[in-house]
Amino acid sequence: MNAVVRCLSGSVLLLLLMAGLTPAARGATMEPLKITGFVSSADWEAYRTRFIEDTGRVVDNANGNISHSEGQGYGLLLAFMAGDRLTFEKIWTFTYTEFLIRDDGLAVWKWDPTATPHVTDRNNATDGDILIAYALAKAGAAWQDQRYNQAAQKLAKAIGRATIAKNAGFPFLLPGVKGFTQADRRDGPVVNLSYWVFEAFPVLATLAPEYDWSGVWREGIVLLQQATAGRTHLPADWISIHNRMMPRTAEGFDPEFGYNSLRIPLYLLRAGMADMDWLKTLRQRWIVDQEGVATVNVVTGEVKERLTDQGYMALSALLACALDGTKVPDTLKAFNPQFYYPASLYLLSMSLIGEKYPQCL
Amino acid sequence: MPLNRGMMALAVAGLAFAALAQQSGSPAPPQGPEPNASSASPRRQVDESALRYFASQGDTRRVDAEIARLRALYPDWSPPADLSQLVGGGGVVNDPEVDRLWGLYTENKFSEARAAIAARQAADPQWKPPPDLVTALDVAEARKRLVNASDNSQWRTVLSIATETPSLLTCANVDSLWRVAEAFAKTDQTGRTRDVYTYILTNCANPAERLGTLQKALTLLDEAQIADLLKYERKSGDYPDDFSAIRDELARRRVARASTDPKLTASAEDLAVVERLAESGKEPGNALLLGYYSYHHKNPEKALSWFKMALDRGGSEKAAEGYALSLRDLNRLAEAEAFAFEWRDKAPENMQVYLDVATALLSQDPPPRLDPKVIVRVIPAVTKARSAGAAQALGWYSYNTGQISTAREWFEEALSWKADDEPSAYGVAITSQRLNDRARFNAIVSQWRSRSQRIADLADGIVRDRTAQATPQPAPSSPVEPQVSSPRAAAPAPELPAPPPERPRRIEETRVAAYDRLVVQQERQLQGKRPAARRGGASRQACTTTRDPGSLSAPAALNLGWCLMEMNRPLEAAAAFDHAFTLGSPAQREDAAYGKSLAYLRKDLTGKAAVAAAQAPQTSARRTELSAAILAQRALAAYRDGRWPDVILALGERARVVPEQNDLMLLRGWSYFKLGRYEDAARIFRAVQQTGYSDEAGAGLSAIMEITGQVRQY
Repeated sequence: MNAVVRCLSGSVLLLLLMAGLTPAARGATMEPLKITGFVSSADWEAYRTRFIEDTGRVVDNANGNISHSEGQGYGLLLAFMAGDRLTFEKIWTFTYTEFLIRDDGLAVWKWDPTATPHVTDRNNATDGDILIAYALAKAGAAWQDQRYNQAAQKLAKAIGRATIAKNAGFPFLLPGVKGFTQADRRDGPVVNLSYWVFEAFPVLATLAPEYDWSGVWREGIVLLQQATAGRTHLPADWISIHNRMMPRTAEGFDPEFGYNSLRIPLYLLRAGMADMDWLKTLRQRWIVDQEGVATVNVVTGEVKERLTDQGYMALSALLACALDGTKVPDTLKAFNPQFYYPASLYLLSMSLIGEKYPQCL
Repeated sequence: MPLNRGMMALAVAGLAFAALAQQSGSPAPPQGPEPNASSASPRRQVDESALRYFASQGDTRRVDAEIARLRALYPDWSPPADLSQLVGGGGVVNDPEVDRLWGLYTENKFSEARAAIAARQAADPQWKPPPDLVTALDVAEARKRLVNASDNSQWRTVLSIATETPSLLTCANVDSLWRVAEAFAKTDQTGRTRDVYTYILTNCANPAERLGTLQKALTLLDEAQIADLLKYERKSGDYPDDFSAIRDELARRRVARASTDPKLTASAEDLAVVERLAESGKEPGNALLLGYYSYHHKNPEKALSWFKMALDRGGSEKAAEGYALSLRDLNRLAEAEAFAFEWRDKAPENMQVYLDVATALLSQDPPPRLDPKVIVRVIPAVTKARSAGAAQALGWYSYNTGQISTAREWFEEALSWKADDEPSAYGVAITSQRLNDRARFNAIVSQWRSRSQRIADLADGIVRDRTAQATPQPAPSSPVEPQVSSPRAAAPAPELPAPPPERPRRIEETRVAAYDRLVVQQERQLQGKRPAARRGGASRQACTTTRDPGSLSAPAALNLGWCLMEMNRPLEAAAAFDHAFTLGSPAQREDAAYGKSLAYLRKDLTGKAAVAAAQAPQTSARRTELSAAILAQRALAAYRDGRWPDVILALGERARVVPEQNDLMLLRGWSYFKLGRYEDAARIFRAVQQTGYSDEAGAGLSAIMEITGQVRQY
């Protein structure tokens, strides 16, 4: 444990110590994000009209037009960030009636308009639940809506109860309730490091303090350190932590730093952890070596696919801005949403720049 | 959140609450008025809250639109009588926004309705949405969530929604009630399920929904609970229930249970119900049920006709299985075998029935005359299934039709599949004894003496009263008995060769089998050749004691000779014939010479037979016949001794006298084979193959292929 603490940088250490303390004390050293007010109404309109139906269903148009709990979560979060109460309520109503039906209080993860019944996979996806609970909490507090507050708390308790598990005594997040534990898989437990939405943990901690959210946060960082200790310094999307100190790609999954993992720097930065060493490694690849944002084989280091949608480029621009103060190129400033996922990443990245690094704009 | 007992009680209490609200007519959640017993139609309970709102606003346009919408959804619904009282009254300020909200609600656009409320509240914190509308939205959303949770088997969610929104649990929402009932059943609370159904049957009027409730009960509750519910059948009133389909189904289930258990009987009433259903329907299921009931309750005649009905209606494997079994029980075994053969591959059970029926057929005593086709098709099935019982039956059948060596092979096969089978061991013992195979006989006896009285008896030479299966017939039953192939020869040629060590033995066995068969045939032919006039019961009695023929007249000596031949005492017969020869007239001498020749042939003294044959001139027919027999015998002897060239010579000579039949051709083929003249052997086997005996010939061709590595295709 001491070795790990020594590895982490100063501000991160402080933040870790802050996690779990009263909001006032936390506020003294590191501002939690306001997050509202940094998505322009024009950008939001573009996103909303393209990806959100009147019923409140967020459509993943790169994925057979299905919906998932992650999309509902991003939709809620972005609607809140844009200050759009009307759309938030729509998305919430749909999420409540169609997704939040599990006996354990979590959301099913996959909803298909062409299937009967629509839910085609009843398992939950923990990052979706976290995003939904986080957005509800923020909205409930900002808009003084008891329904949101109560729902946020109920969901936070469900997440804590059902998705936090222990590995060698350390708490971690199960990607889903079914299929990832040691009992479920020979190489279990298996985790997805991009499910750690760090900025949400302090919020969840106030809603459901009986669970060890700061422990989960810490373990996410530790696992990230371990998973990036290899030759390529990149974590695979799905890793087995059967041996906690030596994470490996999970059996049956590609050894790929892919669509999941490239969100990790976004979440680290949104939670204020700009000092992490690993971000420098990423900068080397993405910016200095001019590789750009790409999916990469974590064993060989080979680039599989360079990603050119502006949403992915925004991730890189955010990194450059946060680490080096590099200005965002003008070409990137015009929002042109094509696909739900990179469009969501775009708004999450740009709104962070707007709030925390306005000098880059 | 797991539902604990307290919430469960609440759920039921919620039901009770809803029931109370219903019956007292209290204005809790918006509901239609009480079903009026004297009204013309059973008023379906429909959510009229939006309609009442529009009416209270005096919005006749929207009222008309809502009436049209509800009529379209619920054809048997009519507007409430008190609607006109509301129109224009109430004094509520007309709020277009609220109108729009109710409009969204009626269009099921709940998300948009909620969003509009939220936006309005954000803009105007003083504004409050109409409580009716909020409740209506709450209930509508709860209903949707309940349906989704139920569709995805999230039972605790279903029950907690029911607890939180008891207004859902009313006759306007029978579908929700059904889902709640299912959730109770799936969480092991079928008593609560019955309570929900009881509530529906007590309070809700719609006949289709009432019947539907019983149908749901059929899938979730047991017979006693369903019987409880049947008590709520409404026999009177304008729309009485008709639950007869439910009662029919219960009867059917009782018959179904009894149909597979001979110890259970179904009542006459229940059987009558199922018979009625079977006759009036087009499906095979009920006929099948009755078939099995009859079969298991000792009525194969009836069973047969029910199974036939089921088959005609497409009942497939199960019906075929029952049909074959019924034929067997009626002892119509040949039909059963033919029928079961057609169905044998449809399912493992059908194959088993086929084998059972074939076994029964073959085991009949006396052995039935069977179409050779039957044997040919039984064998592959038996071999594939490795059925010891059927192999045994083939063994006995072969035995009873004089094919001893083949019989033994089948018994050996049966024993190899089921090493602890005493009847098979007995079969091996008895056939080994007949074939004079001391080694095998002793081996079996030593293994089985302690386990089997009859095998021990065999060894000790005690003849007990044999069972039907064991009785060998001293005289063959008929000359046209279908040949039973030996199991080894029955292995199809295209099969991959077995591991080498086994193979040479198989070839040898086939060769020996060919020889054995010939021997038996020869014997039979010789036995059958006796002049008819010499048969008769008197002659039999005349030669049981040893007599010196020296004192007899020629005719008496001839009689004696034939009698002794029948008793299988050829040497003595030869002596009698000899005496007759010295005394007799030319005609009698011809008979005597003929008889002596046959006797020597019987004793395998081919040389002497030839001499005897030449002693007196014979008719050309007898001459031909004797030559053929003698040459065949010579060939057989040479074959047995392994003098292959002599076999070929003798058979070649014989073929010039009479046309060569297949089994002798096989002998020739094997002889060529042994001499390494594979081309000639193959040529002969192929010729045999084309005229029949394809299994035997196939075995020969396989043997050649194995040795030479190829067989020329033609």
